[in-house]
Order: sequence, then C-alpha cells, then structure tokens
Amino acid sequence: MRCEECAGKLDRFVDRELTNTEALEVQLHLEGCPECMEHYEFQEHLKLVVKNSCDCDTAPKAFREKLRQILR
Amino acid sequence: MAEPAAKTAFAEEALTHLDTLYRGALRLTRDPDQAQDLVQEAYLRALRYQHSYQPGTNMKAWLFAIMRNLFWDRFKGSHKEDVSLDDVGDFVLFEKLRDEGAKPEADVLDKIAATEVVAAVDKLPPLHREVVLLVDVEGFSYKDAAETLGVPIGTVMSRLHRARQQLQKSLYDYAVESGIVHSGGMEQVPQP
Repeated sequence: MRCEECAGKLDRFVDRELTNTEALEVQLHLEGCPECMEHYEFQEHLKLVVKNSCDCDTAPKAFREKLRQILR
Repeated sequence: MAEPAAKTAFAEEALTHLDTLYRGALRLTRDPDQAQDLVQEAYLRALRYQHSYQPGTNMKAWLFAIMRNLFWDRFKGSHKEDVSLDDVGDFVLFEKLRDEGAKPEADVLDKIAATEVVAAVDKLPPLHREVVLLVDVEGFSYKDAAETLGVPIGTVMSRLHRARQQLQKSLYDYAVESGIVHSGGMEQVPQP
C-alpha cells in the first residue's frame, strides 16, 4: 500500500468502518511507515478531542426529573 | 394505547438516552433553553409514536432521528437551509502543522481549550454538524448515522469528510490566532 492510499483510508480506519481485509492492509502499512503512523495517531487524537470536548454536556438534573414526571 | 406499565418501561428506557439527545439538541440549537424544549417535544412525540419503534432495534438512533427532524421542522423551518461550507480545499491539519515544524503535532490539539473545539463544531452548518455529532461524539456507525439522518451512507461520508476539513481549518486558525502555532515559521510548539 502506498502512503496516498493509506491517507485516503485513514478516516474510515479511525472510524472502524473498513472491512477486515482493508483494515489489515492499513495496519500493516502503518507498522512499516512511521510518518503514516504519526498521521493516524493524530487523527485518532483529533477524534477523541472532539468527542471529549462535546460530551461533557449532560442534561441538567432538574430537567431529567421534569421529563420523568411528564412522561409518566 | 400502551398499557401504563409498558409505557413507563418504554419511557425509562428512552430516558437512558437523554444525555445523547440533550447534547445533540444543544449543539443543533446552540441554546440550552431551546435544547430543553426540543428534547421535551421529542420525548413526547416518541411516547406518542411508541408503537412505531421496533423493540430490539437502535432506540438511541430512533430518538435522535425524532429530535433532529423536529429541529429541522420547528427551529429551522421546513427547508433544510444548509449554508454551504467554506471551500477550504483539501485541508489536512496534520500536514499543515508538520510543514510548519510544530512537533509533536498532537501537542497542538492538547493546547486548544475544549470550549474552542466546541465553538469550531458550532460553526459548522447544521447538516454537517449533526454528522460530526453522531459519528465523532456519539460513536454511531456510518450505517446508523445514515438511517438516523435518512440519507445514503455516501452522503454521511462526504459530509463527514468536508465537516472534518472545515473543523481542522477552524482549529488551525484558532491555533495561529492564539499563538499556539506560528504560521509560516518553524517555531516549536511552546511547552507548558
């Protein structure tokens, strides 16, 4: 696999959306290519940063209680 | 009409997904009061259409679909007025940072405050924002996201791709403006 092909599949690799065979090909390339490995780790980190930044918002307790009453 | 016990059990199960729905509503409306209104309305609708939910299928996705459809109907009018994304070209933050000598590149991400990341997400047009919410924040598969949004998987992938490029551009612009990286230079990322 060439680096360009690996870069093209990186998003789907990070999202666990490649087929097993494709994922294995990417994995093998990453293990032999430090630069693509760094890029992969960066994308993985970016996804985590977005998740962690957004998912600290939780429904206020009072709102949860209010909903529970309404839905009875 | 469902039996009271079944109705309560359904409501209880539905409420286990409240945080996901609230987060989604908050990011879509960008307003806590509107988010609560939207979520409340979504739950009432879900209860009303309880019979259309197939037990054993993805309730979180089903509830999210109800909530985002309400958002588009109620808060944005019936037209899906998507503001097109700025054309940022093929923006790859990793390559941009590497070219500017900011190493290790991931350190830059750690120096950007969570509020700035949220602001960058909020800046995305809603049709792109909701894909990022589903896939990156809530961990939906492309297939579940496609079903939730009522679009083909290819559309999820293309929106996600463009949204991520825009997001990376916003984060890069912020990093430059705040002095985390120095555009055009070969300066190192300042260490804490």
